[in-house]
Amino acid sequence: MILKPRLRDIQAMAWGVGRLILGVGLLMIVPLVVSLVCAEWNTALDFMVGFLCCFSTWLFTESLCPRPEDVTWFQGMVITSGGWLLATVLGAIPHWLSGHFHSFLDAIFDVMSGYTTTGLFLLQDLDHLSHGMNTWRHLLSYAGGQGIVVIALTFLFAGSAGALRIYVAEGKEEKLLPNVVNTAKAIWMISLTYMALGVTALFAILLREGMSPGRGFLHSMWLFMGAWSTGGFAPQSLNLLYYHSLPVEIATLLFFVLGSLNFALHYEVWKGRRMEILRNVETRSFSFTLLFTFLVMCVGLWGTGLYQDMGSLFRKGFYQLVSAHTTTGNCNIFSISFHKDFGFAAMMAVIAAMAVGASACSTGGGFKGIRMGILYRALRLEIRSILSPESAVVREKFHHLRDIWLEETMVRGVLFILACYGMTYFLGGLLGTLYGYPPHVALFDSVSAGSNTGLSAGLVGPSMPWALKVYYILAMWAGRLEFVSVFALLGMTAAFFKGKNSGEGKIKGKGRRK
Amino acid sequence: MREDMSRLTVFFLVAMVLGAMVQSSGWSAAYCKADSRPVEKVSIRDLVENLDHYDRKEVEIEGEVVGDVMRRGGGAWITVNDDPYSQRSLPEGGQHAGVTNTGIGVWVLGHMVDVISYTGSYKSKGDRVRIRGTFHRVCPQHGGDTDLHAHSLELVERGRPIRQEVPAWKGPLAAALALLALLLWRKMYAKRRKRPGIA
Repeated sequence: MILKPRLRDIQAMAWGVGRLILGVGLLMIVPLVVSLVCAEWNTALDFMVGFLCCFSTWLFTESLCPRPEDVTWFQGMVITSGGWLLATVLGAIPHWLSGHFHSFLDAIFDVMSGYTTTGLFLLQDLDHLSHGMNTWRHLLSYAGGQGIVVIALTFLFAGSAGALRIYVAEGKEEKLLPNVVNTAKAIWMISLTYMALGVTALFAILLREGMSPGRGFLHSMWLFMGAWSTGGFAPQSLNLLYYHSLPVEIATLLFFVLGSLNFALHYEVWKGRRMEILRNVETRSFSFTLLFTFLVMCVGLWGTGLYQDMGSLFRKGFYQLVSAHTTTGNCNIFSISFHKDFGFAAMMAVIAAMAVGASACSTGGGFKGIRMGILYRALRLEIRSILSPESAVVREKFHHLRDIWLEETMVRGVLFILACYGMTYFLGGLLGTLYGYPPHVALFDSVSAGSNTGLSAGLVGPSMPWALKVYYILAMWAGRLEFVSVFALLGMTAAFFKGKNSGEGKIKGKGRRK
Repeated sequence: MREDMSRLTVFFLVAMVLGAMVQSSGWSAAYCKADSRPVEKVSIRDLVENLDHYDRKEVEIEGEVVGDVMRRGGGAWITVNDDPYSQRSLPEGGQHAGVTNTGIGVWVLGHMVDVISYTGSYKSKGDRVRIRGTFHRVCPQHGGDTDLHAHSLELVERGRPIRQEVPAWKGPLAAALALLALLLWRKMYAKRRKRPGIA
């Protein structure tokens, strides 16, 4: 029996959403300051309006909704999924006011793409965009990579009950530290430390490559945010091709590989347990799938004769593949090359890499390496069970921070998520094909959106059909939250209309309760 | 005799290694030679959508220089766009064209860029230039980049600063929202004073 949410359930969820929105509003202060420093008055006003909308929303929820004593798992999921949706709508206000979007739907698309660290964009005339707006685009993906819930937890949920449930609902299950608020702070510590190193390195490289100090600093900040968050945004329309620089490509490749690793793995390495890199199922899975897809890509590219030397193959082929596998989306070729020049085999290798994706509890998307590792172990278990005597007890384990025995519920959960991702990729590809796009292009961009990668074979653009825009927004959102929180939100909506009031739970007609 | 043979062998081996390096770095004469057919004026979209057709051909493009002039090693990289926004950008008051920017990286000799004063950005319209050069689908000199190596660069129209126009309604909108936020703040504060247990 589905129960209708009560008023205090709705108030608890609204309170949590309000706190998330306050976090988004506070983030807008960064591009607001950049706009003021750069004398971009129009842009500064856009962010002032956006901040005030977020701030007013928070004040509205705070004045109507008391702080809950506790937050249930269901409420946590609704806070996360609903909060993400509202954060997207309000975060799109500065986008829309900038004048670079044909419609508010396009603005929502870009903000969702940022939060989910996808990197697809519908923004028009990127090369004439203000510094303030470019900062906001990249900050969206940096914040989204950490998780906007993580941001809110770090500063706005201290002492609140239910913080763990809200944290887990964002697709993260790793607790670096016993307290989830301290876990959120640890994630920020890791990210900010890498940011200091990354911006310094990229700034030095860009100066050497001929950029002016002012632009070089801004670009280094933006490129790091885009790479570390595996978002793939870049400040110019040519993306990484704009720089024509091997050092820039190597630096961004290093940072997006680091960003795609599990935060818990980073924490283990920081604590001195470096062997975890070699033993961890995710790094092993990633290495195997990367090597396999690279071999397929090499065979495919060899057939086309596109890249005649190892240097070009590394810079163009391998870079794109790692960008796809980490679900980053940084690109140093023209999008059209994926389907016109790469050939079928190499293109399929990129699609497979995107579909598998990065590590869990990282900034990356996709199906996740740990699930690939679990599936492999499950397959081994089945084969070993068949080959072993009937009386034998066969078990499998894998190593992820500690040794974990494989269990049926775990495998079932993995297969469920695999089915969700697979269906998302397939439906998007089908929808694109129905609109007349070539099937391999439609599938490429659908997988890119659902896995939060952001590479495009040419389908995504301002003139794409609105139904595809809506589908991709939902696919990016659902893929980033790994579906369960989204189902919770849908369930709550259904319960609101069809659920029974809790007072109707008594058995009717018998005069007594069981 | 034996010494002469050794020297010849060493010489031959060194020549082979040098030849392989030159070949792999793409400095061989066969790579440098551009197609000798007449120069074709093309749009950058034509180049990008027909990479194979225009590979190593001499072409002419015209567009706005955007972003940065990145000087390095005797030359410089510039980016040239020829989309609708290169005529009139959105900050200038241009219309939405339903497309993203279309541009290409151009490798020019150092002295050629001295003529460039403005590059396209939020606050400026970039110089409009006409460039003749060799198009590379996969440039061996630049790690496989798709680029254009300029043989000539001509200034067509000088760029200029763009005056920022702030719409009249934005200020009052921000003021109205600030007033709303203030009213909500007072309501929340009053509620907390009545019930101090609420955070």
